[in-house]
Amino acid sequence: MRLKIIRIIVVLAFVLIALDLVYVQAIKGKYYFELSTNNRIRVVPLEGKRGRIYDRNGTVLAENRVAYNVTITPQAIEDQDELFAFLSESLGVSRDLLTRRYRRKKHTPFAPVVVAEDIEREKAIVIEENRFRFPSLLVEEGYKRVYPNGENSAHILGYVGKVNQALMQRYKKYGYSPLSDVGKSGVEEFYDLNLRGEAGGYQIEVNSRGQQVRLLSIREPTRGGDIMLTIDSRIQAAVMDVMEDTPGAVIVMDSANGEVLGLASFPDFDPNALVDPKRSKEAGGLFSDPLAPLINRAVSARFPPGSVFKIPVAICALDTGKITQKTTFHCPGYHQVGGIRFGCTYPHGDQNLIEAIAHSCNVYFYRLGLLLGADLLHEYADKFGLGRKTHIDLPYERSGRIPNRTQGILSRRRPWYTGDTLNFVIGQGDVLTTPLQLVRMMATVSRDGVEVAPHVIKAIGGVPLTKYDYTRDVKIPKEIFEKTKLGLRATVTDYTGTAHELDNDELFVAGKTGTAQSSPHKEHHAWFVGYAQGREKSVAFCVFLEHGGSSHNAVRLARELMLRLNREGLI
Amino acid sequence: MQRDLDKKIWFFTVAIMAVGLVALYSATYDNVRVTQKIFYDQLLCAGLGIGIMYVLGKVDYRRFYDIAYGFYILNVILLLLVLIMGRHALGATRWIQFGGISFQPSELAKLALILALGRYFSNLKPMLSFGFRSKVQSVFYHFLWPLGMTVFMMLLIFKQPDLGTSLLLLGMFVVMVFVSGIDYKIIGAFLGLGVVLSPFAWLILKDYQKDRLLVFLNPNIDPLGAGYTIIQSKIAIGSGQLFGKGWLAGTQNQLNFLPERHTDFIFSVIGEEWGLVGTIFMLILYFALIMTSMQVASQVKDRFGTIVTVGIVSIFSLQVVINIGMVMGMFPIVGLTLPFVSYGRSSFLVFAVMMGFLLNLSKKRTVF
Repeated sequence: MRLKIIRIIVVLAFVLIALDLVYVQAIKGKYYFELSTNNRIRVVPLEGKRGRIYDRNGTVLAENRVAYNVTITPQAIEDQDELFAFLSESLGVSRDLLTRRYRRKKHTPFAPVVVAEDIEREKAIVIEENRFRFPSLLVEEGYKRVYPNGENSAHILGYVGKVNQALMQRYKKYGYSPLSDVGKSGVEEFYDLNLRGEAGGYQIEVNSRGQQVRLLSIREPTRGGDIMLTIDSRIQAAVMDVMEDTPGAVIVMDSANGEVLGLASFPDFDPNALVDPKRSKEAGGLFSDPLAPLINRAVSARFPPGSVFKIPVAICALDTGKITQKTTFHCPGYHQVGGIRFGCTYPHGDQNLIEAIAHSCNVYFYRLGLLLGADLLHEYADKFGLGRKTHIDLPYERSGRIPNRTQGILSRRRPWYTGDTLNFVIGQGDVLTTPLQLVRMMATVSRDGVEVAPHVIKAIGGVPLTKYDYTRDVKIPKEIFEKTKLGLRATVTDYTGTAHELDNDELFVAGKTGTAQSSPHKEHHAWFVGYAQGREKSVAFCVFLEHGGSSHNAVRLARELMLRLNREGLI
Repeated sequence: MQRDLDKKIWFFTVAIMAVGLVALYSATYDNVRVTQKIFYDQLLCAGLGIGIMYVLGKVDYRRFYDIAYGFYILNVILLLLVLIMGRHALGATRWIQFGGISFQPSELAKLALILALGRYFSNLKPMLSFGFRSKVQSVFYHFLWPLGMTVFMMLLIFKQPDLGTSLLLLGMFVVMVFVSGIDYKIIGAFLGLGVVLSPFAWLILKDYQKDRLLVFLNPNIDPLGAGYTIIQSKIAIGSGQLFGKGWLAGTQNQLNFLPERHTDFIFSVIGEEWGLVGTIFMLILYFALIMTSMQVASQVKDRFGTIVTVGIVSIFSLQVVINIGMVMGMFPIVGLTLPFVSYGRSSFLVFAVMMGFLLNLSKKRTVF
């Protein structure tokens, strides 16, 4: 009887085990099978080579050079002391540093750890010759980004760097690994997906300690696409020569199609300093410099446009029929509203629209502002895309700001005063634009109301980019632009025009100056935004000097630049 | 009455040994950490074991009765020796050495306790319960005294420390005392007391033993440490699916993901390489051997024989069930071997002795 009870217990126990076996092996077997596969297969990534970047003439602006990296494969180390002693001696690096680097980067036994990056060829040869002594050692040929033209086009190109830990989560789903180079600004960042090669890798089988047992398969990485810019590096070079290294920005854009021919921001930087670990101190300086050389002032910074803003105001006044070309106002040198005097540069006397533009007469425009009101000003500024992104293919573009009555009242918690309108009308106060917005506006004006899309890329991987080949009609009659352009041309040709210095016999130039007040204790911003007809191209351009003083400084540089571009046949 | 029980025992035992050797060959195949030497060692043990079974099948099993107490005392001395001068391995001291051969007295202790308890119970008169005094006396003789014999040995083994084996002895004791004809009430009271006292057992456990219990409850609390073994073992068994990955082709096994796969976790190797077909086949072999042994127990006309057989069956079944349950994650990891399959000389040979005893009984059951 008691034996029977024991028998029943045994039967029950065995049935229970059998049921669990059926559950684990038959029902959940597939799941565990996949787990066992994951256990033993690892993928070691191989980076693809990044695409090159050319200027519009095929000059190489960014490429890859072979760099020799010393790697150690942890599982193959025989005598660690001897190995590090040898490496320390042949590289001239302290043993301590090598050991620390190795410890920090080592994560699996089979993945080679880079202990020295970009070593000299001679050292690489010495190490290669000693490989038979240290099977774990390997001199690996890697690629290093190099910018042969240095500062030329730096802000357009940007630079590359390793994906940082914080962004890794976000980048991971796009196939980046912690070892990937990723574009950090400029075209390198904006077109990163096109530039980066498709990573390949090899699949290996590992044992429980993560050591490689055998190679299962290899997929070669593919090279990324080459990119051709609309930039002409010779124009860039001319810009670099003309500008001293004071803060500012220069843009030269083909107004026929929005191709940016030259775009520079100052102070500039050498992107090579940011990719070369040996120049890390210099790179650190770039980040901490109070003048922020890494900021692309042409698209990522916003400034008051000053008198350049009078262009949309004039167009607005003509288009709404508030004035005609011949409408005249008297300028006594100031305009009084309430108890406050709003000044002009000097008493201009009677001015018609053309004269007012050429002389940049504030009083004339104050009167226009009073006629038009802030709402119309906002509407027309908006028509030219001021205060909105141009959607150029560069990262970190800013939109700027065009004031609007409601918003102004709400943000300042006081009524909108007439004085606000007067500041608005001369591009002061809350008006903020990027240099690129003003260049696009100037191109639109020069083309009688056809707006183009600014861009810096001509082709990717040999395929021309058509995405930016569109234009927009701002829907303002042609004759209004023609009348306004008379003023812009007079600015240059008139003896008393604010940009008369630009007058020359070699090429047609027109435009508008601007001297914008910034902070009370600093110099004004100096602007010249214009358009020119070269031998082959019609361009819109701008010279902007941050705290550069009078607009004459900008005009002087604009003359130097335009004449040089014309003489060298670059436009 | 079946006449060929001894043949069945021979057949199933040798079949289990054979399957075990094939599995062990794979577990040690082409590997630096678990070398093939282990396989040949086990092969030698199998030969020796079969020899022992053959010899023990011939001798008069009453000799076991005669030596039972002496063997028990000898074993206690050996266990004390382990504690004093034993060989240390894997965080525990379980081996002692005699002239180059090391063995585990705790394995031998199973046999010693079975024999001693068998002799003790077979001499007891049936329980008479008249009056309080005789009741107390009978509780003492039928229960407390044999419990003392068991617990004394358990403590010596627990000190090594070897929680698995000492608890195994307790389980075996429960089965044997149950079959000895004790009053259900005493068993019930004992089990009830055990349940009440079990939380206090926590206090005397070593840290790694506590870890194992916690990890048993949730292996994922420490997937690379204590939980690693359970997780990898389940992956190995499950990934075998219906027909297995094939002999020598289990990736969990061949790539060293399974720790202790030649000893406690050999069943995972079988599960991975032979699948459900293999594991069920293995289970059937064990089941058949156990059921045959139970038949021996019920047909033996001699009390000592019955009780010792039950002891053997209980320890054998408990080890099979606990070991397989443990590699499947149904029990905590307690370090018990799978009889005749796990590598381990002491365990293998002691089980061979037990089978020899069964063979002996199955032949002589009609002789009185």
